[in-house]
Amino acid sequence: MKDLLRLLGLLSPYWKWMALGILLSFATLLANIGLMAMSGWFIAAMAIAGLAGVSMNYFTPAATIRSFAILRTVGRYGERLVTHEATFRVLAQLRVWFYTRLEPLAPARLQQYRSGDLLSRIRSDIDTLDNLYLRILVPVAVALLGLVSVGLFLSFYDPTLAFINLGFLLLAGAAVPLWVQWLGRRPGRTLVESNAALHATAVDGLQGMGELLVYGAAQRQGEQLNQHSRMLTDAQAQMSRLNGFSQAMLGLSSNLSVWLMAMVAIPMLGNGTLERPELAMLVLFAMASFEMVMPLPLAFQMLGQTLSAARRVFEIVDAEPQAPDPLTPSPEPEHFGLTLEDVRFHYAESGPPALAGIDLALPPGRRVAVVGATGSGKSTLLKLLLRFWDPQTGRLTLGDHDLRDYHGEALRRHISVVSQGTHLFTTTVRENLRVAAPQASDEQLLAALETAQLGEFITSQPDGLDTWVGEAGVTLSGGQARRVAIARALLKDAPILLLDEPTEGLDPATERELMQALYRLMAGRSVLLITHRLVGLEAMDEILVLDHGRIAERGSHHALLAAGGIYAGMHARLGES
Amino acid sequence: MHDAPMASQTTPLAGRWLSAQRRLAGPALSLAVGLGLAGGFLLIWQAWLLARVVNGAAIEQLPLADLWPWMWPLLGVFALRATIAWGATQVAFAAAARVKLALRERLYRQMQALGPVYLQGERSGELSGLLVDGVEKLEAYYASYLPQMALVALIPLAILAFVFPLDWISGLVMVLTAPVIPLFMILIGKGAERLNRKQWRELARMSAHFLDVIQGLTTLKLFNASRREAQVIAAISDAHRRSTMGVLRVAFLSSLVLEFFATVSIAVVAVLIGFRLLWGEMAFLHGFFVLLLAPEFYLPLRQMGTHYHARMEAIAAAERIIEVLETPVPSAPKKAIPVPAKGPVAIRFDQVGYDYPGGRSALTGTSFHIAAGERVALVGPSGSGKSTTINLLLGFLRPTAGRILINQQDLAQMEHADWLQQLAWVPQRPRLFHGTVLDNIRLGRPGADMAAVEEAARQAHAETFILRLPQGYDTPIGEGGQELSGGQLQRLALARAFLKDAPLVLLDEPTASLDPESEALVQAAIERLAAGRTLLVVAHRLATVRRADRIIVLDQGQVAENGSHTGLIQAQGLYAKLATAYTGYVIAQGPQ
Repeated sequence: MKDLLRLLGLLSPYWKWMALGILLSFATLLANIGLMAMSGWFIAAMAIAGLAGVSMNYFTPAATIRSFAILRTVGRYGERLVTHEATFRVLAQLRVWFYTRLEPLAPARLQQYRSGDLLSRIRSDIDTLDNLYLRILVPVAVALLGLVSVGLFLSFYDPTLAFINLGFLLLAGAAVPLWVQWLGRRPGRTLVESNAALHATAVDGLQGMGELLVYGAAQRQGEQLNQHSRMLTDAQAQMSRLNGFSQAMLGLSSNLSVWLMAMVAIPMLGNGTLERPELAMLVLFAMASFEMVMPLPLAFQMLGQTLSAARRVFEIVDAEPQAPDPLTPSPEPEHFGLTLEDVRFHYAESGPPALAGIDLALPPGRRVAVVGATGSGKSTLLKLLLRFWDPQTGRLTLGDHDLRDYHGEALRRHISVVSQGTHLFTTTVRENLRVAAPQASDEQLLAALETAQLGEFITSQPDGLDTWVGEAGVTLSGGQARRVAIARALLKDAPILLLDEPTEGLDPATERELMQALYRLMAGRSVLLITHRLVGLEAMDEILVLDHGRIAERGSHHALLAAGGIYAGMHARLGES
Repeated sequence: MHDAPMASQTTPLAGRWLSAQRRLAGPALSLAVGLGLAGGFLLIWQAWLLARVVNGAAIEQLPLADLWPWMWPLLGVFALRATIAWGATQVAFAAAARVKLALRERLYRQMQALGPVYLQGERSGELSGLLVDGVEKLEAYYASYLPQMALVALIPLAILAFVFPLDWISGLVMVLTAPVIPLFMILIGKGAERLNRKQWRELARMSAHFLDVIQGLTTLKLFNASRREAQVIAAISDAHRRSTMGVLRVAFLSSLVLEFFATVSIAVVAVLIGFRLLWGEMAFLHGFFVLLLAPEFYLPLRQMGTHYHARMEAIAAAERIIEVLETPVPSAPKKAIPVPAKGPVAIRFDQVGYDYPGGRSALTGTSFHIAAGERVALVGPSGSGKSTTINLLLGFLRPTAGRILINQQDLAQMEHADWLQQLAWVPQRPRLFHGTVLDNIRLGRPGADMAAVEEAARQAHAETFILRLPQGYDTPIGEGGQELSGGQLQRLALARAFLKDAPLVLLDEPTASLDPESEALVQAAIERLAAGRTLLVVAHRLATVRRADRIIVLDQGQVAENGSHTGLIQAQGLYAKLATAYTGYVIAQGPQ
């Protein structure tokens, strides 16, 4: 309930649009009930008049019937336009809200959502929230208004009639769907679980097909896939039985309501409390009234989904930023020297330390490399330097000021990063570069691309800087993507350069060429290079070897090789490694 | 970050294919239509009974007691209709479920036949999505579209058959307006559907842009560009709303026309009946009966739009499924020669070449020989053909030229599964399957006893870390299970190979950096595995190469050099260059 209120609070700026949509939708419902009820009354009255051989005023009812039909038609059109307008406004509002709440949390708090799976989960959660208005709020509100109107109208004739109709409307629209939902909890869970199991089996089966074939297990995997597939359809069949029941009950309720109302109304004809044409009217009125509850089973189903989506989204955005900005303004550093003093850091309270006492000085213009195996703590070092996280003990400084005194943005103004994880946005090359320098001219962009050795490739494309990157356009190779990252760093032109595995995943020829571009970028900047590939390290002033969060060795390339320790061991690789 | 070109067209082929797959459902689909039709007739009967009741009470002025002969049967009809409606959806779902199960199985078999080379890389993600969600998308086509489309024609016809004899004028109104609805749906619908699809595509694209921004949030933050982006998201959403609403104003006209015909026709029927009743040209019983049926007549027609949408989704999924099913599978040998029982394996590559489907060649005229029991290291820069060589030996690729001889017999003539029994394989990044440590070691011999498993784990230096896991051999691993380090993963895969005990071992050394300790353990395990077997290892480590009996150096798809470490260093060729380029003077000093 709390989540629902909070969700509604987010939508409140657009309550006028939302209310208008609900009113139009309600008018459309009433027009249909009116059309059917009026038609029933009309033909019965005309028949009775015809049999009695008297005349009657048929202009008014005939015109009313026609106007109800027109109102229904036009109302439906207006309703769809307004509800969609409201939906789109809500959708924009939700996305902006989510983004502004998410932005301060990146990347530390989002680390656990790194994998594509979880990200697309977030995406589908947000998409689910879009349904709130159109698929839940509108039907529920219209049904409530409808129930009140139907109740008032029928009590004008007889409270028993109102009681019967409302009872069956509530039964079909609320009691049965809720009951079915309650019954469906267990098969619903089985459904989700067997779907996940089927996914896992499919991924295992396809990605591991080579090993499955070699070890003669592909057939078995296929059987397992079939088994999970059957489990999924079994769970779906159970859900289908329940939903089918809910649907059948809707029809049955409508019919029983008509039947019971007829049973109550027919004796009323005899004692004169009901006119004869009104019986025909009531029958058709009761039938048409069930239109209001038709979308409710789906609405209740979606309400559950929407609330759990909302809960997950709230959980994400409610996290505290990992490295909060200071309340005081950032200091202006007099120089761009970085230092680390006895820095210790662990991600989880109980987990092993990622860094266990690091001392390091990176005065302006110096070049330091940090090497080590996967999981030795190299990337953590980078995250602390960018102040995505703060260390538990020890301190980092820039220009002799503690990093904690800087606002994240003020700190990162002085630092450029080239990493293997650089994100290329699905847009043009120009927009991708302007992330680094929104005001840069095309000449500046091309100059940066030239230095990054990508100029020729881009200018050879028919669209030049307007070339689309990603699925919809040109797919850049790993080396080319890295060059875009280098060009971005050039455009940003910061005094400190952090290189995070800049050549990871590239073949040796590309790697050598990229190193050339990187050397140009390094000129005149302090450099911290993080890598496990021991290429071109002769050019570094100092090399630190990290092992399980500690500095195991430090010194120049030649000194470390001569020492014959871990570094020399790592170096004993052959070919392209 | 705004718009991207995109194109998607549906083909009539996919529609035909989908329709043809209905035979997988068996007679259930016809049964579903039959039940639906029976429900339609019950509906007409119900309208008749109800008309009799109202006619009896309002016109004939009979007391309730005289109306029971019509009231009681009504209850029976209600119950029967509810049961039939429920049964029809169950039968239709069962039909769809059978199609889904059959197609999913067929799709997996096809992917298995296409083999690991086809499945590798990013494609595997897309294909597993197709296998699960793609097949699910077909459900609505069989469970609702097919049966409902049959009923869209049958039920209005059944209603007309009863209305015409009683009231040909109302029948005429229905006959004239009914075809207008699908006609307009097709006329306006074609355009509106296109606009509608464009709109949903745009919505999907906007949602994709949002995801793109979130994925790139760290990058944006590094450039202090992340706050700017909130305005961009707002602007894009707003622009999207404007353009979409422009489109929808037109697209919703189709529903306006639809609603107009369905609703106004009912009004016309009611008014026309009313006047004839006043003039005494018609009985109220018939008039009320027709009025009760009028909304039911238009109902299936109005629902056509929803079902059409189900079809569109199914067609999109079917297109990709057909594509996979029609990808040619490498043919099996006509008459397979028997593979001899497990014994020493010697390998000869005789002028073997392999060209990718695109025409680029990965291997050209490669010849070498590996004697039974020999230990050979395969070395070369990336793209030199090492992986292709391994894939050819595994039979995942077929040579496009030359022959591979196993103990003097052509590999192409052997039954693939039989050949695979002769070898064990440890890829660069071994796959952990959903299950326990035990399941993973026993992958090749699910019936192996515990003693054998433990022995294999000991041999692979895996036992120590396995026993330290929370539940030992029963610890769940794979996605969502216990995480293993690179070295542990490698040793588990080696245990798998030990347990299989095959005469030929193919392995690809891991390139991701292992910490020094696990590296030594992996190395020692490989050493033991090699004993008494033929071993071909794609080597990245100097230590491995030095322990090999012989080194084959590949370059640009050909054997560049072939010999021992010392010999090759002395030859001053590619190997010597590769070794010195990366290891400086370490080689001269010897490994530590």
